[in-house]
Amino acid sequence: MKTIKLQNNSLKLVKDVLKDLKASPDLGIYKCVQCGMCTSVCPGASQTEYDPRDMIRRVLEDDETVIDDENIWNCFSCYTCNSICPSGNNASEINQILRQMSIDKGEGIQKIVSFSAYGDSFMELGVGSIPNTFFDVMVKDVGPEYMNLKLNIEDIRADLGLGSYILPEEAINEVESILDNSGFKNRLERIKRCKK
Amino acid sequence: MKFIPDKDILLFKSCLVNVEYPGIESSTSYIFDRIDVEYYVDERQSCCTGLGHYYDLFDQLSTTALAARNFQIAAETGHKNIAVMCATCYAILKKSANILNQNEEARNKVNKILDDSNLEKMEYNTYDMDPVKNIFHVAEIFFNKRDKISSLVKVDLSGFRVATHHACHYCKVHYNDTIEGVRDPNLIDSLAAAVGVETIGWYDHKRVTCGAGFRQRFTNKEVSLAVTAEKLHVLKENEVEILLHMCPNCQMQFDRYQPYIENKLETEFNIFHLNISQFIALALGADPYKVLGIQTHTVPIEPLLKRLKLPFNIVDQKENAKAEKSLKN
Ligand code: SF4
Ligand code: SF4
Repeated sequence: MKTIKLQNNSLKLVKDVLKDLKASPDLGIYKCVQCGMCTSVCPGASQTEYDPRDMIRRVLEDDETVIDDENIWNCFSCYTCNSICPSGNNASEINQILRQMSIDKGEGIQKIVSFSAYGDSFMELGVGSIPNTFFDVMVKDVGPEYMNLKLNIEDIRADLGLGSYILPEEAINEVESILDNSGFKNRLERIKRCKK
Repeated sequence: MKFIPDKDILLFKSCLVNVEYPGIESSTSYIFDRIDVEYYVDERQSCCTGLGHYYDLFDQLSTTALAARNFQIAAETGHKNIAVMCATCYAILKKSANILNQNEEARNKVNKILDDSNLEKMEYNTYDMDPVKNIFHVAEIFFNKRDKISSLVKVDLSGFRVATHHACHYCKVHYNDTIEGVRDPNLIDSLAAAVGVETIGWYDHKRVTCGAGFRQRFTNKEVSLAVTAEKLHVLKENEVEILLHMCPNCQMQFDRYQPYIENKLETEFNIFHLNISQFIALALGADPYKVLGIQTHTVPIEPLLKRLKLPFNIVDQKENAKAEKSLKN
């Protein structure tokens, strides 16, 4: 009888993926039949060089270069792949895990450093917000009314019978304390240090 | 079908509803008040981290720890059912509840974080929050009460050609819990039917993403808007006048960027974008400015209201802005 010899560590990457906290216990990566349905419905694949089926293949073949592949950053996190996969696999979730691996290695930090202001706002107010640089682009794209909306938001909310959206101070302190003890504060500092 | 509650509900605040389309929240309250849904909003509740999570900025453990805190706020006030207005809140909270229930190591870590933060009282026990029995989108709560909604309709909206955009993070993440279809989603079509509006139903691209793609809208704008433009083209081919939404992020992508895409492509789509809560509230006779909050929209809703010939005091926002400017000068 023919047997397939698996090297002991030839599944290191897929095992690391499955060990990740983000990985659902029923994640069907081993059951992937490489049918390509994920790629055929993928907006990232239709617009860019990104290919979720190939990403899964590389993970299963222990090809760690997939972590450094620029293309993994073109996923929309739309989960269309997940909803259509005949094998119960979830390319979206695996993509998110690979991105975190890239961030942990260091290279990926450049990809998220521009979003760090969202984290600052979360620590200060208990609510995230669009980072300034992106906000300025939105005002340019959407028009000056968008700026007016932001300036008058509390008044508009009051007209609608809604209170302030900013958390009370005690609640903000709780959130900040949780994010300190969870390691997020350190993570954010580490990310911000990479700002060029 | 899963059991959908109508009481003990924490109406979960959403960061994008808060500052982009607060009218989604006031419309939801308006409807809940009229269909006998018992709910509560808690100012201490923090944002779910959704955008930061999908920007890959947040780590899963931090997101889960904040969810545990919000779950305890819900339980402590006797509102252990959560109803969200944003599809990303829905997916994030369900995932966090799954982790807390199924992964002992993660649960212990979260409880240690809470202890270290002097929040021992917020410690999480297995199944304090059941993601199937306790976490819902407000559209599901409406669906469960659609007969009651039908009985309250005051405004006839059937003269418009309406299509629906079902949010990915409601339909496609925890798809076993999705009601009214995943591959052919019809939840908001059914709600439109409840207020007497027959939508166009299926159309090519019906289940395609809005294109926001979290980081994509900001770091890959052309790609992101190309996806949005494709969907707008298909809607135009179908002569759609109103697109109904169930997620503020999708609504932003279409409403904020439709004029920009029209300019770039030198075409006109002329599609109004309304959240399903705003649409139902309008059918029930709610005020466009005091309840629907149409003053925060980029594509003006006034032309839609004018066609209804309602006794609303319609403000021409562009004229208003001009008048304000000339006053200042
Ligand atoms: S992940 Fe699923 S859809 Fe994609 S190739 Fe594998 S089996 Fe097919
Ligand atoms: S979640 Fe990512 S991989 Fe899956 S279909 Fe959407 S863009 Fe493609």
